[in-house]
Parts: sequence; C-alpha cells; structure tokens
Amino acid sequence: MALLRFSPEFDPVSNLLTLQAELERYLRNPAIRLGVSGPGDFPPVNIFDDGDGIVVIAEIPGMDPASLNVSGQSHTLTIKGERKREKVGESAGYHRRERPFGEFSRSVQLPDELDLDRTTANYEAGMLTIRVPKAESAKPRQITVKAA
Amino acid sequence: MTEQEIAAKEKQPVEGQEKTRAGRFFLPQVDIYEFGDSIKLWADMAGVKESDVNITLKDGVLTITGTVSTNVYEKLSPLYTEYNVGNYFRQFELNEDIDDQRIAALMKNGVLELTLPKGERAQPRQIEVKAG
Repeated sequence: MALLRFSPEFDPVSNLLTLQAELERYLRNPAIRLGVSGPGDFPPVNIFDDGDGIVVIAEIPGMDPASLNVSGQSHTLTIKGERKREKVGESAGYHRRERPFGEFSRSVQLPDELDLDRTTANYEAGMLTIRVPKAESAKPRQITVKAA
Repeated sequence: MTEQEIAAKEKQPVEGQEKTRAGRFFLPQVDIYEFGDSIKLWADMAGVKESDVNITLKDGVLTITGTVSTNVYEKLSPLYTEYNVGNYFRQFELNEDIDDQRIAALMKNGVLELTLPKGERAQPRQIEVKAG
C-alpha cells in the first residue's frame, strides 16, 4: 500500500489537505496504535478555556462515580473506568443493543502546565467535568522595567 | 495508549421532523430487552437531569424527549471538540400491548431506565391440554 498518493496536477492546497488526511488516517490506524487519541475514542471529550484554565467535559453516562478514575501528570490528563452493562439475565432477548460497554482509558494532552493540587472533577447526569487551573508558572507575568 | 474494545459513536441528529422548539436534537443510543412479562429500555442521555425527561405513550407510540441545559457553556470558549451538545428525541412503535398505568421510569447518571409491563393479553400463557 502506498502511504501517500500524489496527483499529477500541482495544487498545493489540495495536496496539503490530502497529505494531512492521509497522515491522520495512518496515525489512527488501529493496527499501528501509536497512542494518538482522537474522535471515536471513548469517552468523547470537549475541551474549553474558561479564562483561568482548561475545562474538560466528557460524556460518560451510567457510571458509578466511585469507579471513575481521573489522574494527571505534567501535561497529560487520564480518565479511566469501566462501563458495565446492566444485569438482564440470560432469559431475556434483545431488540436493540446500541450502547457501548467495556473498559476505557483515555489520555488527553493539555496545552499548559497543570496545577494538579487545584484540579477538580465533578460527575453529574453522566457528564464528567474536570477543571484544571493554569499553574502559576504558566500564567503571563508582568515584568517591571527599572530605570538604571 | 488506548487499548480498549469500547468505542464512542458519533451522535446521530434527528431527521425528517420539524420542531417548534429551537435547538438541535439527537437520537439517544438505546438497549431494548424483552422479558416474559415486560420490556425494558435503557437510553443514554448524558447531560439530562431527571426533571428534564419527558416520556409519553400514545396510540402505541413511545416518545422519549430529554432536554439539556447549555448554561454551563456560556463562559467557555472551545479549544477542541469531539461531540455535539443538544437535546434528545426518539420514538418507538410498540407492537406489544403495554399496561400504560404501570410504566416505570428511572433516570440515573444520564441513563434512562424504562420498564414497560406487558398487558394481560400480551403475556405468554400456558394452555393446558386435557386428555379427551
């Protein structure tokens, strides 16, 4: 398989986009597993900036809050847990089975140094909200210029 | 490293229905199991509180609606997004005769659990065969 395909006509923008798409496809190939996490990984996450830091909101419905594990190190935040199917017994037949279950471990890279001591995680209505304040060292600082 | 069998599914928007309410609607993912005397349905509706779920059964059509509050997002500016936030809406036509007086609904951690007891006529019945 050719990793990259080049078109004979020269179109720099289209070529760049194609290259980007091919690279993304390659990095996300489950057979290679470079550890790149992205859309399609569980749980899905949205990341926001609230002015004082980063807010990560993950949709993980149906979890026991005690079995959700959130940890952080340097720039990496990790969410771990297991989503268990409700007990239905063997006599039941099913019409639909669309909901995902299983163990998960998801890490996201954050742009700033984390202040883990002040990081909070809250689970409500199936939404996990993690607030990570910026570390003091990552905040912009005013430097006074002294006259000699 | 993500070594796991669980994968997130992209939310499917509700299509072919005109809404009077503003906002996006998505189809919640469901599991439906059938037992001898009842049908049980679980729907994933992350972000929906117990007070914001509405369930109706009319003319054999079960309608589930869940509204999501977006107030949390007002002061946040997005850096990276993987999922859309919106309300949930899904309808099912029930073939079974359901005893609508005894329907039970429970909302916990963003999952709706609905128990639909079958009516007398829909329950399996053993017919005794007599020797002639």
